[in-house]
Amino acid sequence: MTKITIYDHETGETVEREMTVAEQTNYDNVQTEIEAELEAQAAKATARTALLAKLGITEAEAQLLLG
Amino acid sequence: MALPTVFLSGDVFTAANANLLRSNQYNQTVSTKTTSYTLVAADVGTRIVMNSASATTITVNTSLFSAGDTLVLQNIGAGVCTVTAGTATVSSAGPLAIPQNGSGILYFTSAGVSIYYPSAVTASASALTLISSTAISAQTSVAIDNVFTSTYTNYLVLFDNFVAAGSMSLRLQWRYAGPTTQTTLSFYALSGYNYAGTLQTQLQNSGASIFVLQTTSGASQALSQVNISGVGNSSQQPVATINSFDNGFLYYLAGGANTDQARTYTGFILTSSNANNFTGNVRIYGYQKS
Repeated sequence: MTKITIYDHETGETVEREMTVAEQTNYDNVQTEIEAELEAQAAKATARTALLAKLGITEAEAQLLLG
Repeated sequence: MALPTVFLSGDVFTAANANLLRSNQYNQTVSTKTTSYTLVAADVGTRIVMNSASATTITVNTSLFSAGDTLVLQNIGAGVCTVTAGTATVSSAGPLAIPQNGSGILYFTSAGVSIYYPSAVTASASALTLISSTAISAQTSVAIDNVFTSTYTNYLVLFDNFVAAGSMSLRLQWRYAGPTTQTTLSFYALSGYNYAGTLQTQLQNSGASIFVLQTTSGASQALSQVNISGVGNSSQQPVATINSFDNGFLYYLAGGANTDQARTYTGFILTSSNANNFTGNVRIYGYQKS
């Protein structure tokens, strides 16, 4: 289990403990979400590089073209 | 026992009168009021003490006092007491509001003209009030609970000096009673450029969390400023504007976020990507309502 640290502003208490099953599930979901976003960004970057190669222009030239 | 307001010809000045005068020099006659009060002639030279949990007034009328007459006005209650001109004028270089444990001197220059000299003033409210400051050291998941209340409508959260061992994206989820984490229905859209002009976007259509910032390595120090509304009060959907800078990738990102689920949110949880430990300071401020 992953650890979670909880700061309770009302009581001033800080608790560090293992995540509950529900918290761990949520944590894993967030990790999956981030990974999917990173993969999508990487795929987009790859597609962009391929398109630039197809057009025969550089990244800087593409930036100029887009203003 | 009170002294006559004015001794007239034929009045008898008694030992009791003399003792009262003497005692008043060192132990002023006190008159405590629990509701708004209008000064009367017999109050001259005494101390009027207001003691009310709610706001009150002390009204000052003309033709009751003479030039040189002085009173002390004091407030020990939680409710602010305001010195109010009735038929007399009341001038002051400071505020006429007397805060709890504040006081002032009311001095008459004539029967209808007085000056109030406050000895304690209500500090002007700060536009931003620091609610919570949390130093996070090498954590992967941190919840900060019970920071949003009905005291404020809008909040500013600064994520300052954030570093991580490796590349990290920091995400936020709202927390409500329980505390329970809101795990769905979050949307965000941010865009920006890096130093080379390369466009960067961060988009989410109904996901689990909200983008806060990203860091590159331990050497970078990311900063993010998040303005929040729709939390801490009645059941509302949180809305946030996000301004973030990653000092590693040199990306600036700006945008907004919404969570399409109305609740009374009281805090949030931060989660890093790739199980990266993150370190940084989270400071939460409340914007004064008025």
